[in-house]
Amino acid sequence: MSTENRYAGIPVVREGLTTASIPQGRQFVGLFYREILRTFRNPLVLVITFTQPFMWLAFFGSSFSAVPLSELDALLHTHVQSYLQFLIPGVLTTSMLTIGMFGSMSTIQDKRFGFMKRILITPTSKATVYLAKALGSTTRGIVGIPVMILAGLAFGVHYSGDPIMWAGWFLCLVLLGFGFSCMFLAVTASSTDWQTPGVISNFITMPLMFASGALFPSANFPAWMQTISAYNPVTYCALFGRNIVLTGQADWLYFGYVAIFAGAMVSIGTLVASRYLKVE
Amino acid sequence: MTDDAIRTRGLTKRYGTFAAVDHVDLDVPAGTVFGLLGPNGAGKTTIIKLLTGLSDITEGEATVAGYDVRRDPMHVKKYVGWVAAEVILDDDLSAWENLWLQAQLQRLDDWKGRAETLLRYFDLTDRSRDKVSTFSTGMRKKLEIALALLHQPKVIFMDEPTIGLDPGTRQMLWELIQGVHREFGITVLLTTHYIEEADALCDNVAIIDHGKIVAFGTPDELKEKEKADVIEIETSRPVDEARLRAIPGVLEVRSQGRAWMIRVTSAEAVLPQVLDSVHEEGIRSINVQKPSLETVFLKLTGRRIGSDAGEAVDFRKFYAQMRRARS
Repeated sequence: MSTENRYAGIPVVREGLTTASIPQGRQFVGLFYREILRTFRNPLVLVITFTQPFMWLAFFGSSFSAVPLSELDALLHTHVQSYLQFLIPGVLTTSMLTIGMFGSMSTIQDKRFGFMKRILITPTSKATVYLAKALGSTTRGIVGIPVMILAGLAFGVHYSGDPIMWAGWFLCLVLLGFGFSCMFLAVTASSTDWQTPGVISNFITMPLMFASGALFPSANFPAWMQTISAYNPVTYCALFGRNIVLTGQADWLYFGYVAIFAGAMVSIGTLVASRYLKVE
Repeated sequence: MTDDAIRTRGLTKRYGTFAAVDHVDLDVPAGTVFGLLGPNGAGKTTIIKLLTGLSDITEGEATVAGYDVRRDPMHVKKYVGWVAAEVILDDDLSAWENLWLQAQLQRLDDWKGRAETLLRYFDLTDRSRDKVSTFSTGMRKKLEIALALLHQPKVIFMDEPTIGLDPGTRQMLWELIQGVHREFGITVLLTTHYIEEADALCDNVAIIDHGKIVAFGTPDELKEKEKADVIEIETSRPVDEARLRAIPGVLEVRSQGRAWMIRVTSAEAVLPQVLDSVHEEGIRSINVQKPSLETVFLKLTGRRIGSDAGEAVDFRKFYAQMRRARS
C-alpha cells in the first residue's frame, strides 16, 4: 500500500528529519517569529515603544534642571554636561530589567489558552519554547534602545565614544536584557497566574534598579547598598555605557561581567524550564 | 512495529493517590475510527495527553504510530495530529500564519501546496489571510483539523470534536471526520460523551468510567450485549421498589433519589404494570430507551453519560469568553 495513493490528490510533504533526536532550529525560528509578529502587529506597542523614551527624558531628565552643573558634578561624582547625559545609559540599563515580563506574560497566556499544548504536541522541546520566548521578549525590549539614544540627541545630549564601543554597549544591553528575560521566564516557568509576571517584575526591578549605579552614583549609597550594587550586573552595564557616553572610554571587564551573567542565566534557565515549564 | 496504530498495556496516570487513568489496555487497528465514550471527568482527555506525550505516564506502556511514548515521545509527536475540545489556535495570526507556524513546529519542507489543498478542502481559501479571531466556531474547527493534518499524521486525536457546536455544525463536522478518515486514511481516536456520535462515527468503542475501560466492542456488538430496554421514571412520591421488582419481565431496579431506572425485557410489555404499581398522579417524567450505547452505559455504571443539558449553552458562552479575552 503506497502512501501516495491513500492521500488521494493531496501533495505529500517531505519530512525534514529521520534521526533519533529531533533538531530544534526550525521550531525555534517559528516560535520566535510568532512572538515578534504578535508584539509588533499591535500599533499601541509601537506607539508606546517610540514615545516612552521621550517621556522618560522629558520628565525624569528635567528633575535636576534647576541644579547648577558644578553642584551636579559633585552629586554625580563625575563630570557631566547635563543630568540627561548621565541618565540615558542608566535608564536604558534599567529598562532591560523588566523586559522579561513580556515573555513571561505571553507564556502564561499560551498556557491559559491551551496554545502551549498545541506547541508541545509537536516535536518541539520545552527548552526551545523557553529560548524563543526569552529572545522574543529581549527583541521587544531592545527596539527602544535606538529610540532612546535618538531622543537624547533631540534633547541636546552630547555622546562620546567610537562605533566599536557603541556596538559593544548595544550588545551589553542585549545581553543584560536577555539575562533578565531568562531569569524571569525561569522563575515563572511553572506559573499560570496572570498576576505573577507583574508581581515578580516589581519584586526584581525595584531593588536591582536602586541598588545599582544606573540612576544615581553608588558612591552616595550606604555600605549595604554598595555591596549589592557591587554584585549587581545592572551596575556594570550602566557603568560600561556611561563611561562610553561621558568619556569615550570602554571598560570591557564590565562587559565581560554582564556576558557571564547572561551566560549563567540562560544555562540555568534552560535547565529549569525544560524541567518545570508547565503545559497548562 | 505492530499493526495497531495505538496500543496500550496497563496505562495508568495517577495524581497523588487519585487514578485519572487506571490500567487501560487499548488496541486501535490502523485506519480505523476509535471512540472513547464516557462522561465528563472519566479520563478521556487524560488518555489523549498521555498518548501524545503532553503528560507523563505514571505506569504502563503505550505505543503510538509504532513509537514507544515513554522512550521516544518526540517521534510520536511527529506522527500524531491533535484537535482540541476548546479549539486552540493563535487568534492574533491569520489562518495561513497558523499553518506556517505548524509547518515550522513539525519541520516540514514543501508544505505550502498541501496547506493550500487543505484550505480548499475545508473551504477556507478565501479567508486564509484573515485573522483567526474573525472566524466562526465552525471555521475555527475546520482550520484546527487542517493544522492537525498538515504533517500527514498517522494518528489523529480528536478530543470531544463536536462539543458545544450547534446541530448543523455538528453534522458538518461528522461528515468532515468521516471524509478525513476516508480520504486521508488516517487512524482517528476521538473522545466523546455523545452516544450518537460514537454510534455514527466509530468502528470500535471503548466505554470508559472513572479511568477504567468498562466495555469494548463495535457499537453493534455493545448494543447486542445489552438486549434490555430501560424505563426511567421520576416521581414526586416514594415508590414501592419491591412491587416493581415483582413484575414479570423486570430485570433490575435502581434508584437515585426519586428517579428509578428499571431494566426490562420489553418496555412495551412491562410498562402498563409499572405504571399500575406507581401512583400515576405522582409521575413527573417517563422515559423509555431501546438498547443503545446509553443503555449499555446505564447498565454498567447505573448513570447516564451526558445528562447535563445546560452544557451546550455553557460552552458557547465559554467560546465567546475566550474570544473576548483574546482580542
